[in-house]
Amino acid sequence: MRHLRSQRREWLTTLLLLLPGFAVFLGLFVYPFIITIVLSLRPEGQTTGWTLEYYTSFLASEHGRQVIVLTFFLAIATTLFSVLLSVPLALVLRRKLRGHRFFRAVPLIPLVVPGLIGALGLLLVFGSRGWFNLFIRDVLPFIHGPIAVNYTISGLTLFYVWLYFPYTLLTTLSTLEGLDPGIEEAAQVSGANPWKVLRHVVLPLIMPGILSGSVLTFMNAFGAFSIPLVAGGNYRPLSVDVYKQIQLFVPAHWSQACAIAVIMGVLQVVFLTFYMRVLRGRKVK
Amino acid sequence: MSEWMIELKGTTKRYGTLVANDHIDLQIPRGELLTLLGPSGCGKTTAMRCITGHQHPDEGQVLIDGQDVTDLPTHRRDLGMVFQNFALFPHMTVYDNVDFPLMIRTLPHDERRQRVTEALRLVRMDELGDRYPRQLSGGQQQRVGLARALVYRPRVLLLDEPLSNLDAKLREEMRFEIKELVTQLHMTAVYVTHDQGEALALSDRVAVMNVGRIQQIGTPRDIFERPNSLFVADFIGLSDFIEARVDAVEGNSTWVAVKGLRVRVETEERLRIGQEVTLFIRPNRVELLEKGAPAGENVLEARVQKLTYLGDNIDYRVVLPGDWEIRVQTNGQQYLPAGSSIKVRLPPKHCHVIAEQK
Amino acid sequence: MILTYTLLVCLSIFIFSPFVLIMIKSIGKDWFGKLWLPPTLTLDWYKWAINVARLPEVMKNTIIVTELAVAMSTIVGIFSGWAFGRRHLPGKELLMSMILLPRMIPPITYALGIARIFYGLNLVNTHFGIALAHVTLCAPYAILVMSATFEGLDERMLEAASVCGANPLRTFFHVTLPQIMPGILSSMIFTFTTSYNEFTLTLMTYGADTLTLPIRTYLAVGEGYWEVTSAMSVIMVLPSLLILFLIQRQVKPEQLVGGFKGL
Repeated sequence: MRHLRSQRREWLTTLLLLLPGFAVFLGLFVYPFIITIVLSLRPEGQTTGWTLEYYTSFLASEHGRQVIVLTFFLAIATTLFSVLLSVPLALVLRRKLRGHRFFRAVPLIPLVVPGLIGALGLLLVFGSRGWFNLFIRDVLPFIHGPIAVNYTISGLTLFYVWLYFPYTLLTTLSTLEGLDPGIEEAAQVSGANPWKVLRHVVLPLIMPGILSGSVLTFMNAFGAFSIPLVAGGNYRPLSVDVYKQIQLFVPAHWSQACAIAVIMGVLQVVFLTFYMRVLRGRKVK
Repeated sequence: MSEWMIELKGTTKRYGTLVANDHIDLQIPRGELLTLLGPSGCGKTTAMRCITGHQHPDEGQVLIDGQDVTDLPTHRRDLGMVFQNFALFPHMTVYDNVDFPLMIRTLPHDERRQRVTEALRLVRMDELGDRYPRQLSGGQQQRVGLARALVYRPRVLLLDEPLSNLDAKLREEMRFEIKELVTQLHMTAVYVTHDQGEALALSDRVAVMNVGRIQQIGTPRDIFERPNSLFVADFIGLSDFIEARVDAVEGNSTWVAVKGLRVRVETEERLRIGQEVTLFIRPNRVELLEKGAPAGENVLEARVQKLTYLGDNIDYRVVLPGDWEIRVQTNGQQYLPAGSSIKVRLPPKHCHVIAEQK
Repeated sequence: MILTYTLLVCLSIFIFSPFVLIMIKSIGKDWFGKLWLPPTLTLDWYKWAINVARLPEVMKNTIIVTELAVAMSTIVGIFSGWAFGRRHLPGKELLMSMILLPRMIPPITYALGIARIFYGLNLVNTHFGIALAHVTLCAPYAILVMSATFEGLDERMLEAASVCGANPLRTFFHVTLPQIMPGILSSMIFTFTTSYNEFTLTLMTYGADTLTLPIRTYLAVGEGYWEVTSAMSVIMVLPSLLILFLIQRQVKPEQLVGGFKGL
């Protein structure tokens, strides 16, 4: 009898402890999310009635489809380039060269800096009068400058990569450093030159790290807001499109904005689930 | 064809102020299994890594079959290596692991299959080709490692503490298997271990190392019965030591004075009268006699201080005149209680002198 | 070997150049045309930021909001972390993944909902409101860190304390608290940076009285004065970089991946 009572007390304490966390989660995340969904289904500015028109009009429209494609394109391109950048970088960083402490801290910088500032700085660097084009003009005169980077799609991708590649790099590096050095030595002794060791042994073994890092990069790139807001120019991915619905119209198009936001959230979750499933599939193999 | 399969000429490797290998000279003939034996930090692993190429010596040369490989990268040295923690490729099956060196060498498929099957059969793993390393026991993994090292018939096989990660019983079985394989294939092998039992059981020759140098090289018997230094005598087997001074020399007998007692030693060492030496004897060579036993050469009065019953044998601590304590191990047939007065005999042919003192 | 260093140096330039350029822009005058560096240096832009853009007030807002967010998140973190780390809890894994959802789903998706709710509750344009919005983003991280901290607390140490004669309160103050202090600090640092840099949620819940630094900087872009924007950016970035510099030795990079960022 006493045992049961103390057990119940245990449960009660645990529940109490979890209360703040749950309150935050439910009140500041779940409830707003539900509100967003509800709003997306209501005709603009009204409190009753249901409609799917904002979803259908967005998905059916040329503009809507372009925005979705753009968002995916940016996210996928960013992820791809991040991987291409991170793998060699990780291979280099794991050998403790001179000043490797410094070089290791460098990729951390985009992580601690708000996207807004990064975007501003990058716009300055790659502007028509920025150092990038000055460099081309003065040091590489054979290239016809100025090269337009800002407000182009490739420029935007570059900015995204600047901000989000560290996620891929850090997980790749950590997986790489977790490798048993004996395995690479065994490959060398077996007669494999450095390239073959890389191709047959190292890369297959760090693939999980690369992939999990790429998921993070993708997620962030998909949901990126401040960069495209400031540096996107005419390119408006989903996140910016949502904001524009609120900002550009008076009265604000809340319902439309919410619909786009929900579409965005759903797309991201679907893509991620799919990706994770693929990842897990590989692991089992 | 060179005289030696492996040669280290004056190889030296330093880490800052620490000298891991101090001018090592080593010659290993074809077909020999040589063990580098020593405590942690003695330099045996560094020496092996100079042979494999994973370390580059600061001075000296490494030669394999007469060829100077000091600057040759690891993957061109044609060696086979077995690792302490197996180092199998976790993302490949047993078959692919063993196939790996052949795949690198781009041999034709048929030949590869034949060789891999043969290698797996040699280590009795041919039924488990589809398994992954994580599904195998330690012993099985090590056998795969062996197969992978041998499948391309390297000139030399290197084994870096291959049995340390296995449990005791498995170790003994694998020891035997390894020796069999190496002998059967006429391979030259270098074995690194800190376990003297392994070294003595497996090797054609043993090189005992300490603080970066080779203290003594010889057959297991040489090392055990005729250690050339206090370190080797102490490291191999159990020993009783005492400082002594040479009293007289005649023929192959030397008399040494130890704490007022006189002991005869049969030794071929050329010693001078008055030289300070260390007398040592293995605890299981000391004979225990009843108190009433007749006096004689090398027979000394003693008293049992304490004893420990170990099942297979009894470990005695015995005190001789002059407070000379020695350890004696007997096969348990005599039981002499603590405190009893006895006599001990140090058979001259089992007494040794080492020309150094601590 | 040279190739490696070239790669690393190029990377460093790539990463650093935006900041360097922002800094120079913030102190440059008459920098038009095709010059590498501005012809004259000036502190005018900073003065402008302070006087015209009323930066000190903005800073004050930012600090207030951040402090509130950090305080609330830390408390949530400690309570939840305690539950996750030390108490028997079925479905812990699932709960943990749920807790992290706000960071995984793009904030813009629920920011709209938050904005709507806050309008209804008159929380828009209040420090408390913005801080609350930040907590959505900060709390998950605080919970994560504190769970790990509490999990790492050795039960046996607490037992030893009670065997030595300490009652639960004393055990808490003398044994538990010192042990979890590093975790609390770590959690506070991360939540501070997240809240300080936060942009998206703030954009949805701010008002004229509660401009934070990120918002003000963004508005400055709209105003068109790149130099002033740069000055504000410099002021804004300094604390984050400072913190990074201070902790880069202690913290394992993987922990940072959980994110400092305010999107």
